[in-house]
Amino acid sequence: MAAEVIMPKLGMSMAEGTVIGWKKKVGDQVTKGEGIVDISSEKIEMELEAPADGILLAIAVADGGVVPYGTVLGYIGQSGENLETTSHAAAGTAEHQEVAATAMMEEKAVPAPAANKGSSLKISPVAKKIAEEAGLNLESIVGTGPQGRITKEDVEKALASRAASGPVATTPASAAASASTPAPMQTASAQEVVETTPVIGMRKVIATRMLESLQQSAQLTMTAKVDLTELLSLQKQLAVEIERRQEGKLTVTDFIARAVVLSLKKHKQLNSAYFANQQEARIETYGHVHLGIAVALEKGLVVPVIRHADTLTLLEISKAIKSLGERARNNQLSGDEMKGSTFTISNLGAYGVEYFTPVLNPPEAGILGVGAIEAVPMYRGEELTRCSLLPLSLTFDHRVLDGAPAAQFLGSVKDYLEHPYTLLL
Amino acid sequence: MGTVVIIGGGPAGYVAAITAARKGQQVTIIEHQQLGGTCLNEGCIPTKSLLESAETYEKVKRAAAFGIDVPADGVSVNWRGVQQYKGKVMKKLVLGVGYLMKKNQVQVIKGKAAFLTDRIVKVEKADGAEQITADRFILATGSEPIELPFAPFDGHWIIHSSQAMSLPGIPASLLIVGGGVIGCEFASIYSRMGTKVTVVEMAGQLLPGEDRDIAEVLTRQLEAAGVTIYTGTSLQSLDAAAKTATVQKRDRVEEIQAERVLVAIGRKPRVEELGLDRIGVTYSRQGIQVNENMQTSASHIYACGDVIGGIQLAHVAFHEGEVAALNACGIEKSVSYHAVPRCIYTSPEIASVGLTEMQAREKYGDVRIGEFAFTANGKALILNEQTGKVKVIVEPKFNEIVGITIVGPRATELIGQGTIMLHTEMTADAMEDFIAAHPTLSESLLEAVLNVTGQAIHG
Repeated sequence: MAAEVIMPKLGMSMAEGTVIGWKKKVGDQVTKGEGIVDISSEKIEMELEAPADGILLAIAVADGGVVPYGTVLGYIGQSGENLETTSHAAAGTAEHQEVAATAMMEEKAVPAPAANKGSSLKISPVAKKIAEEAGLNLESIVGTGPQGRITKEDVEKALASRAASGPVATTPASAAASASTPAPMQTASAQEVVETTPVIGMRKVIATRMLESLQQSAQLTMTAKVDLTELLSLQKQLAVEIERRQEGKLTVTDFIARAVVLSLKKHKQLNSAYFANQQEARIETYGHVHLGIAVALEKGLVVPVIRHADTLTLLEISKAIKSLGERARNNQLSGDEMKGSTFTISNLGAYGVEYFTPVLNPPEAGILGVGAIEAVPMYRGEELTRCSLLPLSLTFDHRVLDGAPAAQFLGSVKDYLEHPYTLLL
Repeated sequence: MGTVVIIGGGPAGYVAAITAARKGQQVTIIEHQQLGGTCLNEGCIPTKSLLESAETYEKVKRAAAFGIDVPADGVSVNWRGVQQYKGKVMKKLVLGVGYLMKKNQVQVIKGKAAFLTDRIVKVEKADGAEQITADRFILATGSEPIELPFAPFDGHWIIHSSQAMSLPGIPASLLIVGGGVIGCEFASIYSRMGTKVTVVEMAGQLLPGEDRDIAEVLTRQLEAAGVTIYTGTSLQSLDAAAKTATVQKRDRVEEIQAERVLVAIGRKPRVEELGLDRIGVTYSRQGIQVNENMQTSASHIYACGDVIGGIQLAHVAFHEGEVAALNACGIEKSVSYHAVPRCIYTSPEIASVGLTEMQAREKYGDVRIGEFAFTANGKALILNEQTGKVKVIVEPKFNEIVGITIVGPRATELIGQGTIMLHTEMTADAMEDFIAAHPTLSESLLEAVLNVTGQAIHG
């Protein structure tokens, strides 16, 4: 019996996962526990290990494929083992069959036409017929039946939305082609496309979430300058002691995180979330602070969460930020570690950015954008001195609170940062 | 953990209770009679027990046809025994629901509930009143028989279905007002127990709503069993002293004498005593108004089952109860009435799912019909029950099976297969190489499907 490589469920909310890339080819020898394919859920990427020793007999879902959890991605077995997927191979020696299978699978690994994928797609018979006749790309339909099965209603909805979005200029030829292959997305013909990237996995989640955030909330941004001179000198003094204790380094972000947590405890309106459906809306305000820290990765953005940040000291927050950031960059975060934040901090200071308009991480009511510190001459009384100024940008949801309380919160953050000893208490 | 109070312990209520409890809620169910509601105590279950007794009596009387000789004067109905058997079945099932409540840690309170405010209900119990507060409420108070405005139930001569299933003896004659599902089932029970049954129906056929050809089969069968059927006939008056009913068909007026009159003209939702006006939950005589999440006009109050009107069937109530409870637990789920089987336990049985032929013609215009009669089915011949047929209705463009009606032996079991076809949105051509076991009644279903494309083998 061949062992199945299965798309796992990463986190409670995961409905589907993406095959990022196979590291093995059909026919390759694999050892149990060896990484063979990279997959991603909405939020995280991970490597799947071979469930058994043997040969990768077949790849059922090629690179780029998006499938519900529980789907078989590939099979590992012994050479010559008969799989349904290889049964088309001409009868012959085991070796021959394997070669034939390899050829077949490699063909499949090229972006497969929808008709091929359709065979493993969950869809009701009548839904399939209607979709095929209308030339709908089955992959683009969201199934609402059990385990994502596409029902007649889903297809009818897809058809209705296609009709609503206006005629997609189809020549008779392209209409015929679209019945068997996914229609290429329209691009402005005058542009020279250098690279086309399918919007899948993390990119797709960010795209959906951010658009939703901007469309479905009343967000606006206010800014403030914070004088960090005193804080930076405190940071320098502390660095000596902390290094001696070999506890790493306190960064400005750590101080800001602590200031935000303390301010959230004072101004709870920003530590809340807005929920709405057609019937009703409600605002949930939280007693605990789960602080999200945005981390930029090569492929996109993740927001690991420091849970109960309000129970942590400055040093503990610092350690938590470092550990989460490191694990985020190594793709080691679990889905649960990126859930449930009540407020988020996004730091673009390292890129020299000053003020910007961070986008709310729904359903949260606030996000603080941190810019780059700038040294400027400033009057203190009559005396001109060198000061370090930090630009802060607070985006908040006007549905949850008004400008004045948001300003008070921002003022509180500023106050803590300008009196940094309070952050050590 | 939130608190959920469910009012009504019938199919909608107890399923909602179990569902909410499994989602971690603290659940209380309030029922003023027995758990199980109308279904277990005065509906589905007791009537089916009576029908099984009638069926057995009938079968024994016809035993000679199978080569079993039974002395003609040695077969009789022991009405007390029939009632005891019914009672035993009901008791077991009611205890079963009670066990499920205990297993899922649902608190059961015996009493009548009404809202004081939109968060508090007052429960009138045998030992006094109690006030209960909850985060969410699910209303599942069910329905009750509708009375004739000019002749209310008196419990003796004019009776409703609950009383008709527990009569002290088999009546010599019975007038049934209303030829719907309930009326026809009672006609099937009592005609076979030896009662002289008369059915009066206002519409042009029995079982208004089902296809005429299907109702025809039942009409002929009931008439063969000695039932007098008046269709297109209205009841004018009831004279309790003379035990006489006056009916009118067009301009002809007739008098019918009967030992009892069963009024089975429908059921109405129980909305009156909940105090809904006090808390602003929208309702009408048709029932409490809900959206597809079973949510009422008050967002924390849900309703399900007969009390919302719509399709008054226990299995629909199960589904609605589950949907209501899931939404009450914050899990969004919409109700789906796509493939709901409808079963009528007459002799012969009638069962259908999806559209009737008439509805399908209205919706799709030209439809394709595949039929197969039980006369050509081997197992039906062996059972000596060859009355009836299977009818499959297919929409012409994509060959989707949109409706199935079966009238004949074991129709209510066979419809399960049809329900799967509709539930999975099966097309007729996808069934071409389907294999049905032989010899079974199920073959008839396959043959009817194949008949749509003219491929039936035995038809």
